[in-house]
Amino acid sequence: MNNRDRELMERYIYQVVRRLPGNQREEVRMELQELISDMEEAGESMEDILTRMGDPAKFAEKYQDRTHCLIGPEYYDNYIWLLRIVLICVSVTVVAVSAIQGIREGFLAADTGYAGVLATVVVYSAARGFTELFASCLTAFGGVTLAFAVMERRKIKVDMKKEKKWSVNDLGDNFSVKQKIWTPNHLSPIPHKKAVISRADSVVGIVFIVIFGVLLIFVPQIFGAVLREGEVIRIIPVFNLEQWDVILPLFILSLAVALADEALRLVVGHYCKVVMISSIASGILQIILACIILKVFPFWNPDFAAEIAAQPGDQISPAVRGALARWDGTLISNAFLVFIIAVTALEIGSAVYHTLRYGVKNTSDGFSVTR
Amino acid sequence: MGEEKDLRSSLSMELRRGTLALSVLSQMKEAKYGYSLVQSLEEKGISIDPNTLYPLLRRLEKQGLLESRWETGGSKPRKYYHRTDYGTQIYEELKAQWEELSEGMENLLKEEES
Repeated sequence: MNNRDRELMERYIYQVVRRLPGNQREEVRMELQELISDMEEAGESMEDILTRMGDPAKFAEKYQDRTHCLIGPEYYDNYIWLLRIVLICVSVTVVAVSAIQGIREGFLAADTGYAGVLATVVVYSAARGFTELFASCLTAFGGVTLAFAVMERRKIKVDMKKEKKWSVNDLGDNFSVKQKIWTPNHLSPIPHKKAVISRADSVVGIVFIVIFGVLLIFVPQIFGAVLREGEVIRIIPVFNLEQWDVILPLFILSLAVALADEALRLVVGHYCKVVMISSIASGILQIILACIILKVFPFWNPDFAAEIAAQPGDQISPAVRGALARWDGTLISNAFLVFIIAVTALEIGSAVYHTLRYGVKNTSDGFSVTR
Repeated sequence: MGEEKDLRSSLSMELRRGTLALSVLSQMKEAKYGYSLVQSLEEKGISIDPNTLYPLLRRLEKQGLLESRWETGGSKPRKYYHRTDYGTQIYEELKAQWEELSEGMENLLKEEES
């Protein structure tokens, strides 16, 4: 074998093995070296040999036995559906928020005349809108994809377990039975009407989570009291924006957990043990995060009441003033916490109820068809 | 034209794919290295591309039907494959199925001729 041929061979082998998992590379490299040099000794030219062996990428592909997809056909429809909803919600909210902020900037530039105001509104909205639209859509896309990719992997694991169990039961039978075979016993029963989770049920929750998330990320200051100070509209935030860097990630985590739970419900499509466990886990996590956010951090704007009370005169009714005088972060936190725990408990309870009442009987193994 | 050619080649590939494992197992009573296997299959009129054969050998080994060992004594290291007992058992079963299948096929195809 001359140097040129050797070089070609090495290049070919390199192109194959670099696509394989690390622990297979050395072995395959040696195999291919053996094969190619054997073929060459049999009198074929290196070009012919490598042409016959074909594209190294395809060669490497045949060595791989795992499935090469991030989101398989089973999840694809739901994935696209959820992705569409999330992206639409994110885009609409981001665009709306940008436009509103642009308009506000326009008010501030009121002295530049009609054209100036218009220009400020358009430029500001567009500039802010585009960058944030891009960033937030990308994040939303990544988040949804990640959730489904995890489910895909988990599901694959579950499938494999099932297969193993099945083959153990059939040990000792003849060869063809050892393959994964399907019997009518594998048909999962049609879920009880009341156990079905429809897309319509999920959509409300998903839209709420996404819009709330986008608002919290981009314009947390809009959650507050709106006051007119002469020409300027002033918003006194109800949240403690000085601590926002720490609070926001927890908020997002909490919303992401809720979204993942919704995605799982959507994919499974009916109440069953998996959905119940996911609901409980997600619910408990929500409560823990709510406790941290509300109790550990100074979550509320401590100056909220004072700032409003400092406003002159007639904008604020005496009743509001009375309420504000009793503004107490701890009390509000506790009230919110009770509310969140109650809502979460209700949700968990509903999932458990639906699962135990309608879901479990259907998924049990004691399967019988009455005629 | 191109599409028709694709269809033809994909159908014929599908037809051959099922026979590959059986073809390989049939040659593996005695230990063979990769290229000698290619040759012995080709001599008997079964041609198989190396880029199909090598991954197949590896898979059959993983499934416990074949065993391999490297021999470093000769001019270069060679990997020899041979059938395991389990492989032989599976081979016998597959062979019986093949005979049944080919008999059935023969009947079908003869019927078309007459």
